Amino acid sequence: MNPRPDTTAAGNGGNFDPRQAAALLDQTTQQARRQLEPAQPWLLVIRAVVALAIFGAVWLNTRGQHPYQHPTAAIIPVVITFGLLNLIATVTVARRATAGLSGKSRLRPAEIAVLAAIWIGVYAAMVPMAGAGVSDSVVYDLYPVTVPLIAAGLAWAGITAVRADWRGCGVGLAVAVTGAVALSAGPAGAWAVAGVGLCLTLLGHAAVIVWQQRRSVVRR
Amino acid sequence: MTTGELDPLIHVPTRLKIVATLAALPDGDTLSFTRLQDMIGLTPGNLIIHLRKLENADYISSKKTSNGTVSITTVALTGYGRAALDSYTQALRDLLGGL
Repeated sequence: MNPRPDTTAAGNGGNFDPRQAAALLDQTTQQARRQLEPAQPWLLVIRAVVALAIFGAVWLNTRGQHPYQHPTAAIIPVVITFGLLNLIATVTVARRATAGLSGKSRLRPAEIAVLAAIWIGVYAAMVPMAGAGVSDSVVYDLYPVTVPLIAAGLAWAGITAVRADWRGCGVGLAVAVTGAVALSAGPAGAWAVAGVGLCLTLLGHAAVIVWQQRRSVVRR
Repeated sequence: MTTGELDPLIHVPTRLKIVATLAALPDGDTLSFTRLQDMIGLTPGNLIIHLRKLENADYISSKKTSNGTVSITTVALTGYGRAALDSYTQALRDLLGGL
């Protein structure tokens, strides 16, 4: 059982030692930060490893192709399943963390609509691109791996910048940069760059969250 | 510096936990009474007593909204309350540095 200060005995704070107060202040702040954090570090680490594994698998699958064709059909459902599980896990954890919370910590319907419109718009653009005769390796491989990262990353960076959430803004920009670098790596290389970039971004994000959560409010 | 210079309204374990928890929210955000109760681990009656004392000093603000049959009470740290916690934390630092 965790030692809990006796609130009745120290009701007026008379017996409340400053050292105990400092420890309680730090402990409560850190606990609150952990409980209210919509992006849990453990989930980010899992997502980083899975992203690296999935994107790496596709890269291994396509890197030897000359000329470039496509990833084998078997890997497509794995990528889609990863995307869906990622979305479900992220939303579930975020909803639990932000239960009872209102204000700018929660995404507004307009912001969700903007993000959804960007995702749909980016993928919908593949139809006219295919119709215009753009090569298959660009329409079905390079574009869907890189452009959604750039578009979603920039949109997220913009939304979080408006909220003065600089950590979120940094994550959005890192995702967009990953997409931009992947765009220049060719159809097969894009998978490797996207995997490594997303993995590093997610691990970096997790590290920053852990550092912020453990930071003492009393000690400087 | 002595412990007597610590804000007596905050220098109580339960109220320190309430204020520290609310200070972890971004400025302007509010937390429902039930979530706060869940996070602090207090009975509703005990929490109400401490919240009332903090609200009387303008350290926190509370708002009751009704959505048909369900009414929700939300609480938030005011700017004055955040400043009071900052002063309290600085006083603790000074005191611990001098101990």
